[in-house]
Amino acid sequence: MTLQDLILSLHQFWSTQHCILTQPYDTEKGAGTFNPSTFLRALGPEPWRAAYIEPCRRPTDGRYGDNPNRLQHFYQYQVVLKPAPSDVQDLYLKSIASLGINPRYHDIQFIQDDWESPTLGAWGLGWEVRLDGMEITQFTYFQEVGGLEVDPVTVELTYGLERIAMYVQEVDHVFDVQWSEGVTYGQLYREAEVQHSTYNFELANVEMIRHTFDANERECQQLLEHDLVIPAYDYCMKTSHLFNLLDARGVISVAERTEYITRVRGLARRCAKAYTAQREGLGFPLLQQDVAQKATKQSPNTRRVRTASRS
Amino acid sequence: MKSSRLNMRRSATTQGKTGGRAPSPSAKTRTRSSTRKPARRQSPVASLLLELGTEELPASFLGPALQQLSTLLATTLREQRLNYDSIRTVGTPRRLVVCVDGLVAKQSALQQEVMGPPRSIAYDEQGNPTKAAQGFAGTQGVSVEALQIRETAKGAYVCALKYEPGRTTSVVLTEHLPKVIQQLSFKKSMKWNDSQFRFARPLRWILALYGTRTLRFAIGGVTSGAKTFGHRFLGVPRSKNGVPIIIKNPASYEAAMKRSGVMVDPQERRTVIQDEVRGLAKSVKGTVYAEHHLELLEQAVNTAEWPHAILGSFPPNFLALPQEVLITAMKEHQGYFSLIGKHGVLLPKFITVTNMKLPNMAVIRQGHERVLSARLNDAQYFFREDRKKSLADRVEDLQGITFHQKLGSMHQKVCRLQSFVPRIAEAIGAHELKDVCERAAYLAKADLSTGMVGEFPTLQGVMGREYAKQDGERTEVSEALGEVYLPGSPDGELPRTTLGIVLGLGDRLDTCTAFFFVGMIPSGSEDPLALRRLAYGFVRIIVEKGLRVNVSQLIAEAEQILKSQNVAKSASNDSVVASLVEFLIERLRFFMKTRYGIADDRMDAVLAARPSTVCDCTDLVARMQALHHIAARPEFDALIGGYTRVSRILQKEQWQDDRINQALFEHESERSLFEALETARVSLDTHLVTHDYAGAMTTLLQLKTPIDGFFDGVMVNAPDQAVRANRLSLLGRVNQLFLTLADFSRIQTSMNSCHTNAKE
Repeated sequence: MTLQDLILSLHQFWSTQHCILTQPYDTEKGAGTFNPSTFLRALGPEPWRAAYIEPCRRPTDGRYGDNPNRLQHFYQYQVVLKPAPSDVQDLYLKSIASLGINPRYHDIQFIQDDWESPTLGAWGLGWEVRLDGMEITQFTYFQEVGGLEVDPVTVELTYGLERIAMYVQEVDHVFDVQWSEGVTYGQLYREAEVQHSTYNFELANVEMIRHTFDANERECQQLLEHDLVIPAYDYCMKTSHLFNLLDARGVISVAERTEYITRVRGLARRCAKAYTAQREGLGFPLLQQDVAQKATKQSPNTRRVRTASRS
Repeated sequence: MKSSRLNMRRSATTQGKTGGRAPSPSAKTRTRSSTRKPARRQSPVASLLLELGTEELPASFLGPALQQLSTLLATTLREQRLNYDSIRTVGTPRRLVVCVDGLVAKQSALQQEVMGPPRSIAYDEQGNPTKAAQGFAGTQGVSVEALQIRETAKGAYVCALKYEPGRTTSVVLTEHLPKVIQQLSFKKSMKWNDSQFRFARPLRWILALYGTRTLRFAIGGVTSGAKTFGHRFLGVPRSKNGVPIIIKNPASYEAAMKRSGVMVDPQERRTVIQDEVRGLAKSVKGTVYAEHHLELLEQAVNTAEWPHAILGSFPPNFLALPQEVLITAMKEHQGYFSLIGKHGVLLPKFITVTNMKLPNMAVIRQGHERVLSARLNDAQYFFREDRKKSLADRVEDLQGITFHQKLGSMHQKVCRLQSFVPRIAEAIGAHELKDVCERAAYLAKADLSTGMVGEFPTLQGVMGREYAKQDGERTEVSEALGEVYLPGSPDGELPRTTLGIVLGLGDRLDTCTAFFFVGMIPSGSEDPLALRRLAYGFVRIIVEKGLRVNVSQLIAEAEQILKSQNVAKSASNDSVVASLVEFLIERLRFFMKTRYGIADDRMDAVLAARPSTVCDCTDLVARMQALHHIAARPEFDALIGGYTRVSRILQKEQWQDDRINQALFEHESERSLFEALETARVSLDTHLVTHDYAGAMTTLLQLKTPIDGFFDGVMVNAPDQAVRANRLSLLGRVNQLFLTLADFSRIQTSMNSCHTNAKE
């Protein structure tokens, strides 16, 4: 199964689970959680189901293309389900089976992982899912996002595509993964890894990045003052990436680090608050739609639960 | 078991005392559980089974949760007057289970007499009930007419007779089990649906049976029933994941679960894992690396429903990395057991515990091997990157690492250590270390800026040692760097080299002094900086290495160094030395109590005699041990009896203390005591010079007879004031002599407590 087959299988699987196949977001980010499809949609009462692939940048994880599975640029497959279905673990395992990984012949474990993103002011509880010892997915029930309580609880599944591909294709190095028939991951990305690692660790212009950070922060704040929360959030994401670059460059002290994180989090919180208020102002449109749908097809499942809880 | 059953029954019958306002006659007459017809047959019993099915719980939560479940349920059963034989918990990452055997089918009924107001208040002169009587009857839920009168020693009182019939166990449990579940608490909990219920991880099913009867209740969006689920992927029949198993009665539960691929008993899983791990280690002539063994074992026990250990390998070329790096990477990232071969050398092998058992584990093994190989590859990357810069060149980088906001950078700490550590070497008489000391202090924190320590913080110190070795630093220096953080746990190994000891003491005392200096002193359970642990390590090194050093003096010097760095001192703490010494002495007491079982009063006695400017832990320990041993001797109590009398008289009486005038002696016993004191003083001095406290204490024992003789022979309060003063001065000398060792008046013996009782 090539990497692109994996993506197609996951798309297929989650599409049948009524997920919207949204697309990657065109801003550098460290994880699929930053994509507005997760960060913003997790807020407020509106239901949401989405699946998308997300390119991620983690400058500190660059290894000049030397490490078999650490990259400064990689892909996550992200699924967001809100509210969290009660059979979400089973759904997840089925999605894994759809990739040709039969859980009956492997050692799949759910290992405690208390997820926290200090820059997003977000945390949740869940697991890292290990397939024969390899972490292939982060599975998180969001409790707070942008400093706001997540209600209803949103569940986030983040698949490490490269690792799963390595496993399925039985290769020991990510660059040996077949992206598509006859084309390897290495052919596509090795050179980028070398060049970006060199840039991230050695040549990134610290002064320029510091200034850009400040400018982006101001831009975000300015936009928030005009209630332009969606573009404002773009600039919040940008500050996060710039901070990651500075971190990789090894030029920020522990104290400064905390300060930068606090600044990014400050923006994220303001965006979260403003976004929720805006959706409320719009009357939570997706919620209306959901209520309408439910009214038309009252599922037998729901009815049974109601009776049970009365007893 | 039998006797506890009886106890349980008895205690249940005395439940439900309700406090009346009136002085109560004996409780027995007030409350009794009544089986109305005393001859009635004992009610039948059955087992209760409660299984809370969850998504995978964090490994460390299982033990405490089961403990709580057992305690909470036991309390509920007691409060609900439901007697039982035994209560037992088992559990896996996906289920918390409690089983109660021999649980009666019905509550015992409760008959209660609740005392109310005095009759004189409850009824008026015409014998009509007053508001007081009506109010009382109302709160007790009985009619005013039903109130009765009880004669007590304090007069006549109104009383209400209450009778609560026993309800059936199923009804009581249905009502109370949700409350038990509600009360379970976890270090961290979460919400997952709109029930607003919080639990460690989502609750997905509840199996609740009393005998063959299914108990139905709802909590957290789940309704209880007779269903459970087996292992996600194992089990017979190999039904699809998500197909429930029906349990008909509690007795069949464990076997049914085993058929479904679940060993519910953690102890069974532990035994299986231990046996398998031992066998696998043996198969490659290795032993499991001991330090993390228990921790990893518990983790495995609480992670798998059907544990099965497998042995894997990693490429031997990784053995070029320091052993600690490999062991740490395996443990922290993957939870693998490391294996040690002959001569303590790490084998290129590992053991992992899976949650799966297949005839052929090859695929799973290869998966684990591949992951580990990538992990070790990463460790190797950090190692190579770190080697691009020498440890010495990293010291400047420490300016960018904050030690603490109020105390500046790690670099500043290193500067302090450079001044302070040589002083410690001097204080413990290790003068030959003066030169290397400063170098070791200079490099002590340099590894904090390495990638490896960034990835594995527990490797601090170890990486310092390895990198210093490669940099060609002197062996004493590199070894000492590896020992700075020892002991790493309360019972951890101590540093072995003298330089390591000096450096470790300096680092700890500087940290403690610095935080006390800026007013960040641990209080109550608050100790975010883990200063207690640091201080305990400090005390252990001093005491276990038998170092003679005045800690008060060292703290004063550390404080001077802080002042020279212009650190702002907190206004709230005037004496850093006094408060830190007290803090260290608390740790010393804890050490002596846990390690040697020395009683508090013994320690009080020794510590009370400590001069305020000196804190010599080793000396204090020697005194405590000597006192502890001497106190076990039969004649000791009598000596303390005599001494307590001396110290009491001295406290009470007023006189002009003066030289002893032998001419004023009127009785032989005065001279005997005087001479015995002179002999004892000489002997004591000899012992004290050599710190032979056992000898010194024995000397005191010899004063028992002369002291007793003195009290038998003379009255201290003689009519002649000069004679009286002379006698008191003589007793003063006795007191002084004792006080050179300890304040014996603080010691509690059977003798002196009797004495106290007789007098007061």
